[in-house]
Amino acid sequence: MNTALEAFAMVATTEVAIAILASAVYGMVIGALPGLTATMATALLVPVTFYLSPIAAMATIITSSAMAIFSGDIPGALMRIPGTPASAAYTDEAYAMTRKGQAETALGAALWFSAIGGIVGTVALMILAPALAEVALSFSTYEYFWLSFLGLMCATLVARSSPIKAIAAALLGLLVACVGIENPGGVPRFTFGSTDLLGGIEPLPALVGVFAVSEIMRAMTSPLPPPIPNRKLGSILGGQWALTRRYQKQMWRGNVIGVLIGALPGAGADMAAWVAYASSKRFSKEREKFGTGHPEGLVESGAANNSALAGGWVPALLFGIPGDTITAIAIGVLYMKGLNPGPTLFTEKASSMYALYIVFILANVLMIPLGIAMIRLSRHVLRAPRAAAMPLILLLCAVGAFAIGNNPFAVVLVAAFGVLGYLMERNGYPVAALVLGIVMGTMVEQNLVSSLIKSDGEVLPFFERPVSSVLAALTITALLWPAGVWVLRRLQPAHAAR
Amino acid sequence: MHLSDRITGGFLVLLGALAFWGGSRLPGVPGQDVGPAVFPMVIGSGLVLCGALIALGIGRSFEAPEPDDTDATPGLAGRLGRFAPVAALVPPALLIFYVLAADRLGFLLTAAVMVLAAALALGASWRLAVGLALLAPPAVHLVFYRLLRVPLPEGLLAAPWA
Repeated sequence: MNTALEAFAMVATTEVAIAILASAVYGMVIGALPGLTATMATALLVPVTFYLSPIAAMATIITSSAMAIFSGDIPGALMRIPGTPASAAYTDEAYAMTRKGQAETALGAALWFSAIGGIVGTVALMILAPALAEVALSFSTYEYFWLSFLGLMCATLVARSSPIKAIAAALLGLLVACVGIENPGGVPRFTFGSTDLLGGIEPLPALVGVFAVSEIMRAMTSPLPPPIPNRKLGSILGGQWALTRRYQKQMWRGNVIGVLIGALPGAGADMAAWVAYASSKRFSKEREKFGTGHPEGLVESGAANNSALAGGWVPALLFGIPGDTITAIAIGVLYMKGLNPGPTLFTEKASSMYALYIVFILANVLMIPLGIAMIRLSRHVLRAPRAAAMPLILLLCAVGAFAIGNNPFAVVLVAAFGVLGYLMERNGYPVAALVLGIVMGTMVEQNLVSSLIKSDGEVLPFFERPVSSVLAALTITALLWPAGVWVLRRLQPAHAAR
Repeated sequence: MHLSDRITGGFLVLLGALAFWGGSRLPGVPGQDVGPAVFPMVIGSGLVLCGALIALGIGRSFEAPEPDDTDATPGLAGRLGRFAPVAALVPPALLIFYVLAADRLGFLLTAAVMVLAAALALGASWRLAVGLALLAPPAVHLVFYRLLRVPLPEGLLAAPWA
């Protein structure tokens, strides 16, 4: 009980309150602007977190990402452009509802079920994480190796692109992580004599580059989005209760899918939304209505992407393995604030963990009034000219990257990764896999090398311990999954022909 | 800029081979079989394999077809015509400009040039671009210099609060 009280005291400060409010507005606006993602919003926040207390710092990340994932639905429903990739799965459906004159129902459902998803996800995090912490205490380097490897494999499954290109992108990220002196031999590796590269390539400039700069580069060569039509919106939450009652089963399924996919290392809100949309279509009694403006899929996937956000924190807090690209950034901040991820976090820093849960709940409750305001104001926010927003983001990229270590080299890295991200995206290589490779490279290598040293170069011990054998099986399944899908696809037309 | 799978795959094969070769030349840890060389060599082999598969066009059936932008692009790209993809290089070029110029010109001037150039390249009107270039740098400077205490260079033009 004492820890809970302590946690409340940690949250109930002016600093945390301001941090939550300001980052909520910030997340709402960034998420609603097409092309600016929740991950980018989080990455640009990092320099700000330097000057905040640990709880306030985490609160800005939790709040802004939750808001951004919701408000990404707004341009999706109104203009058929997903504000963030996590909304892409059901953008067509939401836009079809708008065309039928049900824009408020679509936006209301996005808001209502996002908030529910976020809260259910938090409760799952509260229950799952401490329970898993018990198990995680007995993990050795073998389990950690498989877990981080599994995370990379899941990241390659998320992408709706060629799995081979996704794996190549992840490998490229791992190769980037090889740069520097932090390796088993302590020798300068791939530094080409540069002192700036000795310390390795930090994930943050890479993230800002691939998620923000490449987006500005794309804006340079792509046509303007269509102007947003004037439309009067009716009551936003009216009718949501009826939807909740009618699609209760779908809502819970979406929440469970979200938490599970979020908790899988490497797979986050985008994948959760796609899977939930597919599952709601698969199990629906009115499958023919999908795609014509039917709220059923919206309920399930809208809940899933927000619950995935909380689920993503499970592996991040427990193992320091990012559940998605947002927690990939959050892990860095956790270390900086002395909240080093690991199973002991839940016993030694229990009050801080409780404080994080409280922030999660607060953020999702706050989402409803702020979300309504944002929907009402969206016409004005979405009318902000791209030619004004993008130069500002570019400036923030430069200053933000510089602020991380007061080192101009970080700005060069941002530019380089911007070009790399742009080229990769244009040619079908998913950048999320690259980023996870960069973030997890050191961890994969350390656990691989120490496991190999322990096993004397043998491969068998990697499969001998019970948990590691299960994780190995999962990883190999994830690796072979695309091949299985390919074979099935080849077989199906053959069946049809017969 | 769209490149063929042959080119990107071939590049990955080359990069993987270089990583393998570079990794294999790293000094080992005395008395230890496993050292800093193992990981780059594993990754290098993986990249060679993936690159070869991509170059051969395996796995392409999973890719979502790319939406083709046929509408006119505003700003610089629209004026460049056939060379429109070059416009994409404006943002990274401006970042490099920032690195090179910030110390000499100072933050305010460098940032103003960056914002002005980026806004014009994106097709903003002169009024909007100049307005942004005048207002945004001082605002960003105020937040980062005063609130976040980032030592932004002064250069030729110092902010009154610096």
